[in-house]
Amino acid sequence: MRRTKWLSACGVSSLILATMLTGCGNDNGKEETQSGKTEIVLSGWGGNPTEKKLLNEVLSDFEKEHPHIDVKLNTISDQYMDVLKTRLIGGTAADVFYLDAFEAPALIETGAVEPLNKYVTTDFDLSDFEKPMLDAFKEGEKLYGLPKDYSTLALFYNKKMFKEAGIKEPPKTWEEMEVVAKKLTDQEKQVYGLGMLPQIERMYYMAESSGGQVITDGRATFADDKVVEAIQPVVDMHIKDKTAATPSEVGAGQSAGEMFGRGNAAMVMEGNWNIPFLEDTFPELDYGTAELPTVNGKKGTMSFAVGYAMNSESEHKKESWELIEYLTGKEGMKKWTSKGFALPTRKSVAADLGFDQDELRGPLVSGADYATVWQDGPTLPIVMNNFNNQFLSAYLGDRPLKEALKDAEKQANREIKVTE
Amino acid sequence: MLSKKDRREAGQGYLFLLPALLVLGVFVIAPILYAVFLSFHKVELIGGATYEFRGLDNFMKVTFDDRAIIALKNTGIYVAIVVPTQTFLALVLAASLNAGLKGQKFFRIVYFLPTLTSSAVLTLIFMWMYNQNGLINYVLKFLNLPTYNWIGDPDVALIAIMIMNIWATAPFFMVIYLAALQDIPDSHYEAAELDGAGPIQKFWHITVPNLRPVTSFVVIMGLIGTFQLFDQSYIFSGGSGGPNNSTLTVVLLIYQYAFKTLGTMGYATAIAFMLAIIILVATLLQRKFSKEESLY
Repeated sequence: MRRTKWLSACGVSSLILATMLTGCGNDNGKEETQSGKTEIVLSGWGGNPTEKKLLNEVLSDFEKEHPHIDVKLNTISDQYMDVLKTRLIGGTAADVFYLDAFEAPALIETGAVEPLNKYVTTDFDLSDFEKPMLDAFKEGEKLYGLPKDYSTLALFYNKKMFKEAGIKEPPKTWEEMEVVAKKLTDQEKQVYGLGMLPQIERMYYMAESSGGQVITDGRATFADDKVVEAIQPVVDMHIKDKTAATPSEVGAGQSAGEMFGRGNAAMVMEGNWNIPFLEDTFPELDYGTAELPTVNGKKGTMSFAVGYAMNSESEHKKESWELIEYLTGKEGMKKWTSKGFALPTRKSVAADLGFDQDELRGPLVSGADYATVWQDGPTLPIVMNNFNNQFLSAYLGDRPLKEALKDAEKQANREIKVTE
Repeated sequence: MLSKKDRREAGQGYLFLLPALLVLGVFVIAPILYAVFLSFHKVELIGGATYEFRGLDNFMKVTFDDRAIIALKNTGIYVAIVVPTQTFLALVLAASLNAGLKGQKFFRIVYFLPTLTSSAVLTLIFMWMYNQNGLINYVLKFLNLPTYNWIGDPDVALIAIMIMNIWATAPFFMVIYLAALQDIPDSHYEAAELDGAGPIQKFWHITVPNLRPVTSFVVIMGLIGTFQLFDQSYIFSGGSGGPNNSTLTVVLLIYQYAFKTLGTMGYATAIAFMLAIIILVATLLQRKFSKEESLY
């Protein structure tokens, strides 16, 4: 009798424990599937539906060519990096994942990303890639990711407005643009010459155009006079000339593309993503693209690259590489970029698809040569945050640019010190 | 000395407690101890966890971290405005709903409705209303009042969250007040009436003092809740605490250091401990000032 009591007590507790523990167990889908195929997981952020469909097509092509591999696509729709980091900590991250060049250095530092050098064969033809995009994923000689695509910025201009204002061609220099913008602005109708996002990621190339450095040895140095002078014109256009405005000032949220499409801006500096957006949302709009106006006589633009990276804790590295190899190989990349959502990082593919001849995409492709890649070491995210915060106050005219940037620089460097 | 029987009974008791103890131990006590451990280290959890002992470094860093100071200031302003306002509003609402007006049951339900909405959904609805061309600006324009860029303007973004939060939590405390109001004996009011007290005098001299223990509870819960403001400012600013750090709260900053920047998990836990201490002190101060010892 006594014993049965004890036993039942044990039974009850162990039952409760067992249910709890099974609740915690997780199935991260890395095991071999029943048919003997190896399953690998690819995670990225969700693009628009057409883009997603295209990716699925590329993946199913890959599966046909590699029958022993089953690729599971896992999209993280919001706060991609936060989710990725927590999954890396928990050991449940995908085998292959998207990595924005901008965030790459900090993640590479932790050792969570697998170096790819030993996998790359001469057949793969690394020299075919646009060098700046490839370098964005390098740390010394080690390569940590392969750029899947990129976009540069170009000047989008409204042809109808240009015609009405009697302007024959898009401005070639920043000075010309200032003049043109004046002619195009009509404040009463809420039409501005230039629609501009007051963010460092859009004008990094400008900031460094007269020899200044935004970041030196991992420390913010953007309050340097050379940097301040270089971006002062951006502020002046908004405050003095009143020929530029941000999208939120005309009720277009955070999208310069929307501002341009609705006719609130005659010119915007946007990337490749803007072309499908305008096609979908403002199909009637008659617009053209041109290379960004030169600053101080120098050509410049920004380029944003995204790459495929491999989880260093992946249990299927060989198969993961096969996937990356296919996706960034000539065939896979051609298919992925064929619809024009993104620009191919392989020169041969770009030539094949003829994007350099394309009327709208040509200026974007020519920018790749001289573009500044949006990546500058592990401290860039902190620097960006502080710069943007204070630059906005200068852009809105609350305080002089120099003073705002000085404060921002101090704050950024303190924050960098905090993370050390 | 325990007899054999006593010991067996105690053993059985602990055995039945075991599941609860395990759950508490694994999910409550152990994380707290781990957090204490983390707060003294520089921690990098990604790519094979590394811990580097830093002593009190993480706690000292706060003094030169401008964003921590901004976050503390924002949270302080938020608490100082929201707690008194929502407490007072809850009291007034409860008193008016207890006055025996016509249709008060209907209004009790209507007033309580905001509490039922999840705060994430609530924030999204408010963001839609706060939009530059949204409902609130439309109404303001209709009434010939100035309109604001509620979400984008650093000067008003925090106020927008305050309004939203007061609207959502005051009804909850109103229900608590309502329950307490029913407990005040009618005889007190009758006696006061005989002495010639008017409705306002009755409210200040009978209702408010009788509700003091409940007020103390409401203020303490309000303090804890407002100090921990996170979800609303997170959704409102897309996780950044912007525009220009105006909606950055302490808990949001902890989140950013823990999950956004790499290698600052230890620093984040240190701030979390400091926040816990601030809340503790605020609660103790409140108790001291209200001189209410009977309930807790």
